[in-house]
Amino acid sequence: MANALSFNMRLLAHHELQGYGGIGEGMALQQTRDGRRILWLAHEAAPKNFTGIDVSDPRDPRVVVQTDLPHAKVRSNSLDVTGDVMAVAYQTSAVGMKPAGFDLFDIARPKQPRLISHFDASGLYSRGVHQLWFVDGEFVHMSSGAPDFQPRHPEDDQFYRIVDVRDPAKPTEAGRWWLPGTREGDAAPAPTRLDARIATGFRVHNTNVFPQRPDRAYVGYIDGGAVILDIADKSRPKLVGHWNHSPPFNGFTHTVLPLFGRDLLIVSDECVRDDGIDWPRLVWVVDGRDERNPVPISTFPAPPVEAFIKRGGRFGAHNLHENQPGPTSFRSETIIVGTFFNAGVRVYDVANPFQPQEIAYYVPEAPKLSRAGAIQLNDVYVDEKRIVYTVDRHAGGLYILEMTI
Amino acid sequence: MAEEDRSNTRDPLAGRIPIILITGFLGSGKTTLLGRLLRHPGMERAAVIINELGDIAIDHQLVAASAEQMTLLGNGCLCCSVRTDLQETLRELFIKRRAGAVIDFDRVFVETTGLADPVPVLHSFQSDGLLGAQYRLDGVVTVVDAVNGMGQLDTMSEAVKQAAVADRIVLSKTDIADANVVALLLERLKTLNPFVAILEAIQGEIDPASLVNLGPASAKTLPLELNRWLGTGDGEAYLGKRLVGAHDAAIQAFSLRFEQPYTWDSLNAALQTLAALRGPDLLRVKGIVNVVGESGPVILQAAQHVIHPPVTLQSWRDADRSTRIVFITRNITRESVASLFTAVGALTGH
Repeated sequence: MANALSFNMRLLAHHELQGYGGIGEGMALQQTRDGRRILWLAHEAAPKNFTGIDVSDPRDPRVVVQTDLPHAKVRSNSLDVTGDVMAVAYQTSAVGMKPAGFDLFDIARPKQPRLISHFDASGLYSRGVHQLWFVDGEFVHMSSGAPDFQPRHPEDDQFYRIVDVRDPAKPTEAGRWWLPGTREGDAAPAPTRLDARIATGFRVHNTNVFPQRPDRAYVGYIDGGAVILDIADKSRPKLVGHWNHSPPFNGFTHTVLPLFGRDLLIVSDECVRDDGIDWPRLVWVVDGRDERNPVPISTFPAPPVEAFIKRGGRFGAHNLHENQPGPTSFRSETIIVGTFFNAGVRVYDVANPFQPQEIAYYVPEAPKLSRAGAIQLNDVYVDEKRIVYTVDRHAGGLYILEMTI
Repeated sequence: MAEEDRSNTRDPLAGRIPIILITGFLGSGKTTLLGRLLRHPGMERAAVIINELGDIAIDHQLVAASAEQMTLLGNGCLCCSVRTDLQETLRELFIKRRAGAVIDFDRVFVETTGLADPVPVLHSFQSDGLLGAQYRLDGVVTVVDAVNGMGQLDTMSEAVKQAAVADRIVLSKTDIADANVVALLLERLKTLNPFVAILEAIQGEIDPASLVNLGPASAKTLPLELNRWLGTGDGEAYLGKRLVGAHDAAIQAFSLRFEQPYTWDSLNAALQTLAALRGPDLLRVKGIVNVVGESGPVILQAAQHVIHPPVTLQSWRDADRSTRIVFITRNITRESVASLFTAVGALTGH
């Protein structure tokens, strides 16, 4: 890694995942009953579905299992683990295909994941599930289409759905919410679309629900901004707060991460176009004292634009480490870790929310055979020992780092 | 619980790039020392700031190209000259590092000119908030020429200051100096700066480990390292004021120890009073302070009237919880500082 850029981060190991190093945005760290630590990764695209990799020794990661998808027009992209149960998303490349929904697996024996059930979200207007959140063992919160949901615009097909998996053999829908105006037949007018050059749709991306506030869902609604929902009654989610920076910004709100102890929200965009076409995609610090009126107060200092914008592939914000509950997750109200595609993985200190500071970064060199010609770090997970796991979107696989901050 | 919370916040020291200031009189061998140091494994990510790239004597074979004011040395190190001022050069280096325009250096050696008074340089590090966010002063290494050092100490006040504020003194040219002269010089340096380790380097050869990690590098710094930094031994020895030779009578080096914890108010009052009254004569202050309500020792550093933002370490890791502060001053006696701290303590009821 002679050409890597680093500041306060050190590479412990790099694993190309047996030649299938294109990883999506599903990462979860399982603590097995026999004391091993298995990192589960959802692949970005076919042919692979997911990989389980033993990171008990973070300097010596070893693949335990790697599975295949049924065909090339489906991708998993997202997964989550609670205890020994893993939920894996399936999104097809076009509507009306299968499998579109999610699987639940028993991963008590990581080498041999056992399918428990499949939740079918396929339909005439559905591509299935893009992202899911499953951290309490009881409910899957997800960005999904549904057989009975006809969007007004084909890009608005995935909305917020809650699925009860307390009986993992029989997942059943518990509730749903969509931005008024996006469904055919809505009384509300359709939302005004962003400029066609950068518009990507009014659909859901991340759907975070935390044990500190089980009655709230924090939803990134892509071109629809950041949404806070009251889900005390899961069958009838209600809008509580809504903030959208676009226009004039370029849309694609991805993650809404609440810092409960500080009444702040960290909101990330996702860059989805190469070579800076949709720049700037940022991470925002939002004052959440009154959740009915979120107010942006700063953005994370962006990596130097001139250094990265033409480096190849995407450049800008994407996933954040989401302070997941559970024994293997790092949780901080001041240190935020995110991925920025060709600008690598970056760490920010928001102790002063008006003046976030960049305190560490690692930008791996371009992976071999990468079609972007540069690293494209896609997602990140930080464990309770402050070990940082981050993945490339196309070819580089898994990078394991330690922070020295 | 408190321990877990702290580990989920930023370490106030560990994330900052260490700066090592290398001072020493003209011809003392600073450049030779640096040149040798940079050849050691583990130094390939060092950055070096010197005053004139044209004069670079960091072993000419190491220099790949010298047209630019910033250049890569043959071993991968980055070398640049001070442009307008040192602070601006350091800021520019960090910006270029972030943009990938220069190597991702992990420490910076700053070589001062021979005539430089190091105190204003220390002062500038501590007063620049932008620098403070990315860098920390690791320490001062002063090179003293064994052949000419005594004469320089006699005639040049800058030479005395350089030795007085050092965290390490490197004695050069001991192979060609008269043994009696070396012995006298050693004695004088120990008197001038009783809190410092004095090492010998012949032709710049020295264990690189002895010139890095001079100051506290993390909130988890151990007592042994803190005591080494303060130069107050293993914590048992109490040094107090040493007799200073007639030559260097103006320079005072002493340490104070207080058993009773300070409140932030009382510590602040004592330091502000001292800095306001005698700032120009405070060449260097460094110490660890027991402040009521803090989880661990508070690291204190000051130069002239500028007091560095204090940093609280994670926890006390040994039984000795006394406050220990080392002062290097010009014409301020131990007794007057001790009585000021005692009086302020009494007035503020610490």
